[in-house]
Amino acid sequence: MATITFRNVAKSFDNGKFTVIPDLSLEIKDKEFVVLVGPSGCGKSTTLRMIAGLEDISGGELFIDEKVVNDIPPKDRDIAMVFQSYALYPHMTVYKNMAFALKLKKMPKKEIEEKVMWAAKILDLEPYLDRRPRALSGGQRQRVALGRAMVRNPKVFLLDEPLSNLDAKLRTEMRSQITMLHKKLQTTFVYVTHDQTEAMTMADRIVVMDKGVIQQFDTPQKLYNEPANMFVAGFIGSPQMNFFDARLENANGLKAKSVGFELEIPKSKAAFLSDYINKNIVLGIRPEHFISPDEAFEKGSCSLTVSAELAEMTGSETNIHFELDGKRHIARIKSDKKINRGDKIKLLVDPETVHFFDKETSLAI
Amino acid sequence: MQKMLKKYFPVFALPTLAAFAISFLIPFILGVYLSFTEFKVVSERKWVGIENYIRIFSQDETFLNSLWLTVKFTFVSVLTINIIAFSLALLLTKGLKGTNFFRTVFFMPNLIGGIVLGHIWSLIINGILGYFGVDITYDPKYGFWGLVILMNWQMIGYMMIIYIAGIQNIPDSLSEAAAIDGANPWQNLVHVTIPMVMPSVTICSFLTLTNSFKLFDQNLALNGKSPDTSLLALDIYKTFYDHTGLKLAQWHGMGQAKAVIFFLLVALIAFIQLRATRQREVEH
Repeated sequence: MATITFRNVAKSFDNGKFTVIPDLSLEIKDKEFVVLVGPSGCGKSTTLRMIAGLEDISGGELFIDEKVVNDIPPKDRDIAMVFQSYALYPHMTVYKNMAFALKLKKMPKKEIEEKVMWAAKILDLEPYLDRRPRALSGGQRQRVALGRAMVRNPKVFLLDEPLSNLDAKLRTEMRSQITMLHKKLQTTFVYVTHDQTEAMTMADRIVVMDKGVIQQFDTPQKLYNEPANMFVAGFIGSPQMNFFDARLENANGLKAKSVGFELEIPKSKAAFLSDYINKNIVLGIRPEHFISPDEAFEKGSCSLTVSAELAEMTGSETNIHFELDGKRHIARIKSDKKINRGDKIKLLVDPETVHFFDKETSLAI
Repeated sequence: MQKMLKKYFPVFALPTLAAFAISFLIPFILGVYLSFTEFKVVSERKWVGIENYIRIFSQDETFLNSLWLTVKFTFVSVLTINIIAFSLALLLTKGLKGTNFFRTVFFMPNLIGGIVLGHIWSLIINGILGYFGVDITYDPKYGFWGLVILMNWQMIGYMMIIYIAGIQNIPDSLSEAAAIDGANPWQNLVHVTIPMVMPSVTICSFLTLTNSFKLFDQNLALNGKSPDTSLLALDIYKTFYDHTGLKLAQWHGMGQAKAVIFFLLVALIAFIQLRATRQREVEH
């Protein structure tokens, strides 16, 4: 099994004209399921492709199991990769697609058959072994791509947005299949996605990237509860966190004053915020942390009244879009009542759930 | 809509059908009919049954020679043109510097007419062979290879463009997946690139096969004077216009019969080739 270590790795294109990754240091533990997540162009796929050996490394060192692999070709890295487009060989049957790597290794036919049948059984592909990829559905193709990687028993599994071509239902199904597969295979998995739900539900740890720089590398819970900066706070969670400009004042207790509401700072957070008195800060409130007065909330020391611009019923909850201080925000509340455009809604906030950010550096306080 | 289309279908189809019938179908049927006749001019013909076909094989040894030469020439040309064109296409899709310049240069010979090319190459090759006291025009050995070189020079660029399009159509992820699966560049070529460009192979082998089999103007210009280097098309032409011994009407009938055999051969070979290569094509 394998650890993967990036030590000051840089990647640029066109002889250094475009730098995608300026300086990346990262350590992925053995058997860990790590998800690289970030917006388009943040360098997550490039990072994965560097592990695969499909992209040259412009600077620094990349280790797989304590061994520098900068100049080692993909075939000698003992890795397997599942591509976004699946990259199945269209002229080969499912069986041949899965057996291809083993055939190149000159493995005996019987052993190849055993391995392919083992993977096909786990992935429920036995009835399709004689079919060509064209005759398979998206989900089946995805499973063949996984099977092709599994039969090689690699040290590292690399998955590049493998679910993005599937419909929502199948995506949820495959998500749990991949998670279970990781548990069964006990191998290091590195998974790239732009979908934070996938990242949150599958990963042991998540790398949040932006502009080639790691913003935070931590467990899903930590990313959600203790985001390192406004980028992570905004990226993790759906709908994304609401940000309100505020000023911290100390008058009859520490308070953050924003347009339309005033927040009493809880004692647990007062110590961290003492340096910011009479300074501008940013308050971060997740949509799901707004509370409707209907929910009989008692300890809420902050309330704001907003005018609903749009109300989206999602089943048990309603997303209310509103504008405050010229910015659009979303509150997700439990409500049975029909909310119309223009309705005045009273929202409560538990100060313990509010995040505080330095306005200048965007870092969490 | 469907009903209206049905009603007006003959109106729309008629002009094309008429043009097809006048320019192809009627002359073709008339041509087949004429191969069973002796004629000086098309309007004055005499039915002779399969006499012309018998004469081809009994009284005219040039036909079988030409057929054998054409088969050899086609075989060599199809192989060399496709292998070289595919190799060039591979090289020119590697993102090297000057790729566009070389693509243009390799394609340019295709823009020059066959007769002109034939004369140019006749001058070049004869100029070189002259030092060794040999002449391409009359020496069948050199004439054959002269034709192969000329055909290659003219067609490689065109086929290369088709192969380039085919190679560029292969998703990068396929060769990347193969590289991760452990394939070296040669295995990648054999197991991924070639199977994926089979549609281009079908087109290119069809074009080179039929063009080589039907080659006429380059043959006429390069070594048309030699009786031993006439390919089938040139042999048919010579049967019509360049023979003595029999009556003119008999030569015409025989030429017509040769043309029918020629058509059947080209159609048969092209059909077999298309079936063979199409079976290896896959959609992706």
